[in-house]
Amino acid sequence: MADVLTAIALFILAAIALGLFAVLRSRVAIERMMAVQLLGTGGAATLLLLGAATAQPALADVALLLVLLSAFSCAAFTLGERGAAADEPAEPGQSS
Amino acid sequence: MISLADSFTLAFVAAGALLFLAGTLGLLRFPDTLSRLHALSKADNLGLGLIVIGLLPQTQTIAGGVKLVCIWLLAQLSAATASQLIAGIAARRQPDA
Amino acid sequence: MSPSTIPRLRPSRSALLLRALGFLALWLALIGTAANDWPFGLLAAAAATWASLALWPPDSRLSLPGLARFVLRFLPQAVVAGVDIARRAMAPRIALNPGLVDYQTTLPAGLAQGAMCAVMSLQPGKLPISCQASGAMLIHCLDTETQVGAELAADEAAFLRILPERGRHG
Repeated sequence: MADVLTAIALFILAAIALGLFAVLRSRVAIERMMAVQLLGTGGAATLLLLGAATAQPALADVALLLVLLSAFSCAAFTLGERGAAADEPAEPGQSS
Repeated sequence: MISLADSFTLAFVAAGALLFLAGTLGLLRFPDTLSRLHALSKADNLGLGLIVIGLLPQTQTIAGGVKLVCIWLLAQLSAATASQLIAGIAARRQPDA
Repeated sequence: MSPSTIPRLRPSRSALLLRALGFLALWLALIGTAANDWPFGLLAAAAATWASLALWPPDSRLSLPGLARFVLRFLPQAVVAGVDIARRAMAPRIALNPGLVDYQTTLPAGLAQGAMCAVMSLQPGKLPISCQASGAMLIHCLDTETQVGAELAADEAAFLRILPERGRHG
């Protein structure tokens, strides 16, 4: 059972790595931010699986930390963006 | 012969892994930033949820299970908010994305 | 969305205590019940209660049966949303017709609209982009061919049922 869980964890890690490659290739800052989200969710999944495989519940704490870090970095990014674009109209165009 | 709990775990965890793969494929194949954001926020969080459900029979204590569910709830909540925040910025930068 | 637009009421002491106990329970579930950690847990619960006063006005009540029906309705849809993405991403040819859709919501500005947006971002093929106080929403859809407007109206009706009174903080 532990071997299977480890194998699935590695599979997810590979999928995240591929996704990270896709978003980090882009120059757009928003896609970089998506990389943080991807790392938060996927990293948490990998850590939870490894924690179950190795019977180390402490890994769940690391997973929790990853989720929280990605949430806070996203909020900080948005606040910084708002500050930078303060002189522009707050809402995007509604003509579409 | 594997136990019922183990086969439950395997089924859900494998489905979760499949959704992570789908999320990555979406990131690679979807044409624009906002569509890629759809793939990220929906597929990956469902994947995490399935993995959490699958791991529940493997936890030794009830507190451990509650903790897993709390981690997933926090992840889901932050993803729902974060994806909107990112989408707002994306649309502001390129209104016809 | 700014908290200053919400009328400030004096929150009742029991409501505050209940909220603090809830945060403490969350802390205990996440960190554990070791005796050394209790002071930090109490501090964290107090801080969370203080922060929640600004973000989540204590006078906003939800109807519990409505909330249960709501969860039963939206949880399967979150699963459908993930499967929908998987199906599209694994299809041999990417069949997307992405675009922006305007929608006018009747929900009161503030918490209700924010919560509606958060829920909507988990729905299949929809991602809210902006929501103004007037109720004008901009939603990004993966497939603009489908009946997006009707789906949105149905979702909103289900959402309205968890609020006991309309225009509570309008």
